[in-house]
Amino acid sequence: MSANLSANDGLKIIETGSIPKGAVVINGLPDVGLVGLLAASHIISDLKLREVGAIESELLPPMIVLHGGEPKAPFRIFSGDGLVVVISETVIPGSLIRPLANGLVDWARAKNARLMLSLGGMAVANRQDIDVPKVFAALSAKGLEPQLHGAAEILEEGYIVGAYGLLLRKCAQTGLPAITLLTQSHYNYPDPEAAGAALTAVNRILDLKVDVSELLKRGEEIRLRSKDMMHRTHEEMNKMNKSHEYDLPPLYG
Amino acid sequence: MKVMSTESRVNTSPPHGSGWNAAASAIQPLYNLFVAAEEVVLTVDLPYVNQKSVKLKLPTKDSIEVYAETTKRITFHDLGAKHRHGEFTSYHAMIRMPVPVDEKRATKKFKRGLLEVHLPRTK
Repeated sequence: MSANLSANDGLKIIETGSIPKGAVVINGLPDVGLVGLLAASHIISDLKLREVGAIESELLPPMIVLHGGEPKAPFRIFSGDGLVVVISETVIPGSLIRPLANGLVDWARAKNARLMLSLGGMAVANRQDIDVPKVFAALSAKGLEPQLHGAAEILEEGYIVGAYGLLLRKCAQTGLPAITLLTQSHYNYPDPEAAGAALTAVNRILDLKVDVSELLKRGEEIRLRSKDMMHRTHEEMNKMNKSHEYDLPPLYG
Repeated sequence: MKVMSTESRVNTSPPHGSGWNAAASAIQPLYNLFVAAEEVVLTVDLPYVNQKSVKLKLPTKDSIEVYAETTKRITFHDLGAKHRHGEFTSYHAMIRMPVPVDEKRATKKFKRGLLEVHLPRTK
């Protein structure tokens, strides 16, 4: 019982459950500090979202993950409460990023998604001295600022490397409202506190009540459990010149 | 018995995905090295560690060894890998210094489970 709804340069989005129309699509892809993956995974468990699909591609490593004894794709889609949450439990190779950005945005538009909200990290050198990580937002259109409800500071200039950069651009081109939240975090250490700060912003923007305390309470366990994932993500970030994001913004806008 | 050279024992790259040494009950932590003009800054991510248990050793001129006991015994089972056997009571990493440092003047701080070591470079 699966339908291949979208094929974009070898990217397939397979639906195994019903996807609500007009939903907010939240992306939690492995990135700086694993902020997005940790935050989105916590949304899935706290709001008890159901698995409704998977993203498959020849460009992904040939692997599955076992959850509760069942073989699953590592790149999956969950839904509930008017949300669609996309997470990847494997590193996304650089070669998949363009087809992913195009395919995911086309699919979200076909589902009449009202907003694409991507969660990521923004590395800061003195992260351990920061008590409450700050959240920054890059928008697909200036008019989206009121939707932030003051939960994040607007990023005006700079580079975004990787899937979130291309997703934002594709959303801007096709008119799908998109917000990319980048939270101050460690670069290559899993950062559940940063994920907590991101979730606090998400709660405000979407008027949700995701319980952040549980995520923070399990912080040490989460850091240790996601150590290997962080390491593999770090290797991929190096390959795609992620450090470009910390360059000064381009001179002419 | 051939004795391994220091060179081959020293880990020059960041720890890899299989950094779980069940035989030694030791976890290889994530770490980062930053070479600045005057110093080398090493950070090591150490969840489940108290500052007091962190030990630094400089067994050779160009390497630093980090050892830390965990506050509790950690099993693969606790971490969700129920099919694997092994328990961990410490972290251990041997890290190669890319430039010469003066280990006697090293300073360290520990905050939010993160160890930060500043090693002045030798002139």
